[in-house]
Amino acid sequence: MVEKEVTVTNRAGLHTRPASMIVRTAAKYESDFFIQKDGFEINGKSIIGVMTLAAEQGAKLMLIFDGTDEGEAARAMMDLFESGFGEVK
Amino acid sequence: MARHRTELQESSPDGKPPFHRKGIGVSPGIAIGPAYLYARISFEVEKRSIDDDKLEFEVTRFESAVRKAERDLHKIIDVTREKLGEESSSIFEAQLLILRDEAVYPEVVKYIQSHEVNAGYAVQTVMGKHRQMMEASDSEYLRERANDLLDIQERIVRHLRRGRILSAVEEETIVVAESLTAADIILFSRRGILGCATDFGGPTSHVSIMARALALPSVVSMHGITGEVQTGDMLILDGIKGELIVNPDEETLAAYRTMQERYARLLQRDKQLLHLPAETLDGHRIQLQANLELKEELDLLAAYGAEGIGLFRTEMLLLMEGKVLVTEEEQFENYKNVVDVASPGETTFRILDLGGDKMLPMGHREHNPFLGWRGIRIMLDKKDLLIPQLRAILRASIFGPTRILLPMITSLSEVREFQEVLTSTMNALTEEEIPFNPDVPLGIMVEVPSVALMADLFAKEVDFFSIGTNDLTQYVLAVDRGNDLVAELYDEMHPAVLKLIKLTTKAAAKAGIPVSLCGELATNLRAVPVLLGLGITSLSASPIYLLAIKRVIRAMKLSEGEALAKRALSSSDAEEFKEVMDNWLDKHACGVSFFLEGNVA
Repeated sequence: MVEKEVTVTNRAGLHTRPASMIVRTAAKYESDFFIQKDGFEINGKSIIGVMTLAAEQGAKLMLIFDGTDEGEAARAMMDLFESGFGEVK
Repeated sequence: MARHRTELQESSPDGKPPFHRKGIGVSPGIAIGPAYLYARISFEVEKRSIDDDKLEFEVTRFESAVRKAERDLHKIIDVTREKLGEESSSIFEAQLLILRDEAVYPEVVKYIQSHEVNAGYAVQTVMGKHRQMMEASDSEYLRERANDLLDIQERIVRHLRRGRILSAVEEETIVVAESLTAADIILFSRRGILGCATDFGGPTSHVSIMARALALPSVVSMHGITGEVQTGDMLILDGIKGELIVNPDEETLAAYRTMQERYARLLQRDKQLLHLPAETLDGHRIQLQANLELKEELDLLAAYGAEGIGLFRTEMLLLMEGKVLVTEEEQFENYKNVVDVASPGETTFRILDLGGDKMLPMGHREHNPFLGWRGIRIMLDKKDLLIPQLRAILRASIFGPTRILLPMITSLSEVREFQEVLTSTMNALTEEEIPFNPDVPLGIMVEVPSVALMADLFAKEVDFFSIGTNDLTQYVLAVDRGNDLVAELYDEMHPAVLKLIKLTTKAAAKAGIPVSLCGELATNLRAVPVLLGLGITSLSASPIYLLAIKRVIRAMKLSEGEALAKRALSSSDAEEFKEVMDNWLDKHACGVSFFLEGNVA
């Protein structure tokens, strides 16, 4: 299991487009993917789950990867968060 | 009142009584054809028990409905991306993911199997659970997303029911609906429908703009029309007058068929005007510019011979998914593109005009929005919105003539405060060595009576005026034109409105600054001679009207306009001189009276 802490940096938070990108990225890997926020955990492979987080800019999230390719999945997801989801800051 | 149903004498060929209904014409043209009633109303799905041996089939039905919904969405995404850009299509991409979501698809299948019920009921239950949770959320964003779930749910259920699905919309029909989304209208136009009539919507709603861009005759705000029209009823849709005739008699049909041909000929004839100047018979040159808001409309500039953009509304570009998400960089790319296409004509960017009938940021609500926090009032309070927009416009200004226009100015102090922000923004750009044009003209909308009354003082501090007659009329007559009970009092040609226009043009002439008019009044052809007579030298309108306006200008003398204006100013109400102007148009401008509201047949 891999756990990573991230902060949402893009201005609008995890709105529809970033949420879609997260789910699509997670779907590329075998590993299960969960996101925790304020003691609340959702399935990161579900767009409804990710939207339900309503994570705004500055929100702290715990990303949990569990499976055979958890390392790669974690790296890809961290890249995505660090890129600010392609939004220009 | 105009909206009431009026029974006609004769009856239609198939015996149903004909009737007229009024609405707001938002995209001109005449469509004649059978109605197709498009219901987006959510319907409860009944619960049915499914026999053990049929459960497999029920799951297959669900799978096939999901696949059809996916196909719909792919089509919608393609067109949205092409017409409105990447950001707008993201909402539909998310809907696509929802269809196969782990919290939806397998759950529905499981529900069908474990409860032994029909697919529609399972979809409604599973999606309903998620929706309720979102609707109960504190987050405005999440509450809005509940609508996406509802959209998806309805799309699947429609496909399950096979009945009222999109693909059933037949070619050559006139679609009648409560309201339409931009996605609906795009799909419909691909199916070759003739026009649209809706219960709700206004001239500036997204769907109206799309209808104009797609040249689809449309009438909106026909409250209750979906309750009165049935699929298959013969309809005449008049997007010019904003009228719908249901089950017309033979005579009316024939008259409208003739009119349809005349309209087509008129459009053809107006094309000859494309490269001729908008000049009066006595040699006064008038500038004709376009009101735009979507980058997809840019092609219309050349198609209708616009001399630049007199009003570029930035709300559509800036507001996505109900939030201001567009960064300075994205704005810059968009503005640069607009300036580039409009060049050598100028582009007039209106600073983000929120509030009033347009949405407010952060879900803010007001009791009296037209007198509340709107336009420049918001922007001066929210510099985090203003400064990136200003920087983006300034950066775009090196690619062609660019002007900045301030909405909802009421007092000089607002202009001065804005000028300070402008100066400091320019200083910051200079420091960062980012190029811009330091001489970008700064103008204001004249849409609040106080500005027209004090136009002489404003004229000394700004570079140009742009008169917005829609709001000016609302404010000076104290009429909300969206309110059916008082809408008849709304009259853009009221002498009080014309007097304020006159004050403005006089002050502008004295100070030597340009003044243009960008409200809907510019598209009221009977008003054009009067407006020129009042001293307006530049008109800006939705591009599709520009050639008709040019025809009127080329048929008049400025001196005639001045005489008409004098008469209008001394009238006690607009009714008094409307007839005079209509007669004038009939006599001089050969056939354009056809465009006038209430003047057909």
